[in-house]
Amino acid sequence: MILLEIKNRIVEETFKLRFENAKQGNKPENVDITFADFDGVLFHVSNPNGDKSKLRMSVSLKFYKELQSHGCDDLLKQQYAAFLCPTEEGYSVSLEYELDKIAACSQEEIDQVIAQAAFIKRNCFASVFEKYFNFLEKGELGHERAVIHYRDDETMYVEAQHDRVTVIFSTVFKSADDIVIGKIFLQEFKEGRRASATAPQVLFSHRDPPGELQGTDARVGENIGYITFVLLPRHINKQARDNTINLIHTVRDYIHYHIKCSKAYIHSRMRAKTSEFVKVLNRARPEPKDRTRKTITGKTFVQAEY
Amino acid sequence: MTSNGAHYQVAEAHSFGIEPITCHAWNKNKTEIAFSLNGNDVILCKNHNGHWSTTATLSAHDLRVTSIDWAPDTNRIVTCGADRNAYVWTFVNGAWTKALVLLRINRAATCVRWSPKENKFAVGCGAKLVAVCYFDEENDWWLSKHIKKPIRSTVTTIDWHPNNYALAVGASDFTTRVFSAYIKEVDEKPQPSAWGEKSTFASLMAEYSRSGGWVHSVRFSPSGDKLAWVSHDSSISVVDSRRDVQHPVILRTTFLPFMDCIWLSEAFILAAGHDCCPILYSVEATGKLSFVSKIDQAQKRESGAFSALKKFKDLDLRAATENVDVFIETTHQNTITQLSRSSTDKNDTHVCSTGMDGQMVLWDVRIK
Amino acid sequence: MSATLRPYLNAVRATLTAALCVQNFDSQVVERHNKPEVEVRSSKELLLNPVVISRNEKERVLIEGSVNSVRVSIAIKQADEIEKLLCHKFMRFMAMRAENFSIMRRKPIEGYDISFLITNFNTEQMYKHKLVDFVISFMEEIDKEISDMKLTLNARARICAEEFLKKASLIKQDKINQRIPVKISTSLLQF
Repeated sequence: MILLEIKNRIVEETFKLRFENAKQGNKPENVDITFADFDGVLFHVSNPNGDKSKLRMSVSLKFYKELQSHGCDDLLKQQYAAFLCPTEEGYSVSLEYELDKIAACSQEEIDQVIAQAAFIKRNCFASVFEKYFNFLEKGELGHERAVIHYRDDETMYVEAQHDRVTVIFSTVFKSADDIVIGKIFLQEFKEGRRASATAPQVLFSHRDPPGELQGTDARVGENIGYITFVLLPRHINKQARDNTINLIHTVRDYIHYHIKCSKAYIHSRMRAKTSEFVKVLNRARPEPKDRTRKTITGKTFVQAEY
Repeated sequence: MTSNGAHYQVAEAHSFGIEPITCHAWNKNKTEIAFSLNGNDVILCKNHNGHWSTTATLSAHDLRVTSIDWAPDTNRIVTCGADRNAYVWTFVNGAWTKALVLLRINRAATCVRWSPKENKFAVGCGAKLVAVCYFDEENDWWLSKHIKKPIRSTVTTIDWHPNNYALAVGASDFTTRVFSAYIKEVDEKPQPSAWGEKSTFASLMAEYSRSGGWVHSVRFSPSGDKLAWVSHDSSISVVDSRRDVQHPVILRTTFLPFMDCIWLSEAFILAAGHDCCPILYSVEATGKLSFVSKIDQAQKRESGAFSALKKFKDLDLRAATENVDVFIETTHQNTITQLSRSSTDKNDTHVCSTGMDGQMVLWDVRIK
Repeated sequence: MSATLRPYLNAVRATLTAALCVQNFDSQVVERHNKPEVEVRSSKELLLNPVVISRNEKERVLIEGSVNSVRVSIAIKQADEIEKLLCHKFMRFMAMRAENFSIMRRKPIEGYDISFLITNFNTEQMYKHKLVDFVISFMEEIDKEISDMKLTLNARARICAEEFLKKASLIKQDKINQRIPVKISTSLLQF
């Protein structure tokens, strides 16, 4: 798996199970699951007020307020209109599904509902991108850049200019090792356009924020990296837009995931080599002359010389 | 087997396990050997029809035994160890009984040798001194006198002159010295020798400090006129007291350092050490010291017949895809630490070597 | 093998073989102690002159001998940040498993990446020539392993970036790409 999944698999599987259950007319079961996704997103799937005939999924995003200011609510309304319900205490959005109605739908429709639900995190993010992509398309200039604090110390900046939309992620590397490995990855992103000429241009800067963010509160530090995507109109037209959003909003997790994988790989390789070294050292050990061995029954025998 | 200058053959190679043989000593008629396997016990073994069987185990030391000497005529064994003690063992009524020696030293003892008359013995130690011990009849115990000055490091090796009072001492301060170990309580007034006239106890008769390494072994020639020593700079040195007692002849060799040397006659020295192979040197009347030959033919050892078990074991433990050549080409597989004569006949050059590989090898050397 | 590696390793092998002529030696300073003199350094006369064998500025071996122990310290080539990181990680990994490597010193000597401490007890239990072989093969392998790891790391980074950007350069909506959510315009919306 090179690319990360955008959908939430747990949502998908939970819903699938319940909906199929409902479709077969079985008695609905009690549900209460809490789980997490990237970027500190929390999910809660439960029965509202213990009503087993309904399934409620609530999502909490720490930065939901920031998304709201960029029209997140509208986008969700457009996407999930039928299912939106009063938000559960402590969460950002709640969707409610009545199992009876779901059971009445065709299999194809159910699959769509499930897919839709599993994409909720992506759709929340999408609002910001959609908004700024629209600015570019309509040629509206002079809008302030959007600042989304998508993690505790990591921030995303989106800005529309007359011919492009720039998306900048700041990311924090936890250890000195991560910085080194992260730099390799980011360097490759920068150079990767050679392979696909139409891909968006990627820039990265380590320690200092890029020029666009000079004078803002963007953090400076040895363990901070900035990834800039320059999106041209061809990346944000109606056909390409969804694909671009899908990829861009996961880029931070994508890089960090592969840094972790690389470390795991290095580790396993070191383990193998170390045990090989131990074996080479073992060649220096003479074998004891005493070849008396005990069998499991307690008999002793002398192992044959070889 | 013949190599240039000497016939030799391995009369017997016996392994006592994989533990190093720290030290060994033979009884008078060379039928019984006392040795220590890097441990606190001394093991006595006799050869019965080609099999070595233990006849006694001497346990007294509570740290590693470092040296053993067996007095041929009085049939007493003296042992010393890293626990700073020495014991004299006497064979009474079919059993070995021990007597503690008042060494009065506070560091590990490293080497012990009976004097030729067997009325005293000397113990070298890490306290930078030599304790010369003699039996005090009145109190019925072994007393000691110390030779301290001017030894500046651990005493690693000692050897008695046949005259029973000159004592050669090698130390890790790179120096070989000859002291007087005359003890008026037990010795007769010594005759002056080529090594000097001074006879008071602990007086320094000769000192050779030009050697460039720790002295590993000092040996007087059978007549006592010559003294040979080997040191860690791979050199072998001989001083002839009748020719020039001041200046030793030093031969720097290209081999790894020697750990021990013995005189086969007045004209030949056998030395062995980290190269795992005894090497013969000749000493001419002019004092010239020269290499004669290696006393071990280089031969490839087979690591045993092919077996599937061995193949998989090698793969598993040693990551070896092909046969790992573990053995080196010499009989001994690790450093030779001690050489001794293993024949009662003075003209016969049977030599015994023991080493860190746990092997005892008996050599039959005939010089052409 | 490059032209300078062979003589370098030969020099290390010869020096190490000579340095490994050690013997059991009880402390002459502390009663009933037997410690590696190269570590305790309490008697000057029991230490040999240290030898540095150097292939270039970055790759060198320090061999410190004494009467009963030898310390071998190796500085491994580290051309850039990544090699430095890999080397550091690797050496730390091995040091954590020092008990399997009876001859490994847990902490390397300053200025070096890894140190081995070989005492007379090691040479008594193991074949000396094989110990030397081990050090030499370690030196040969470690460079290879580090540059190999670096290559695979770079390759992984490249593939990741290319894969991502290839996806991002798809201008037309890709039918096979299941990731694009379906905008629901079915009857469901009319609940």
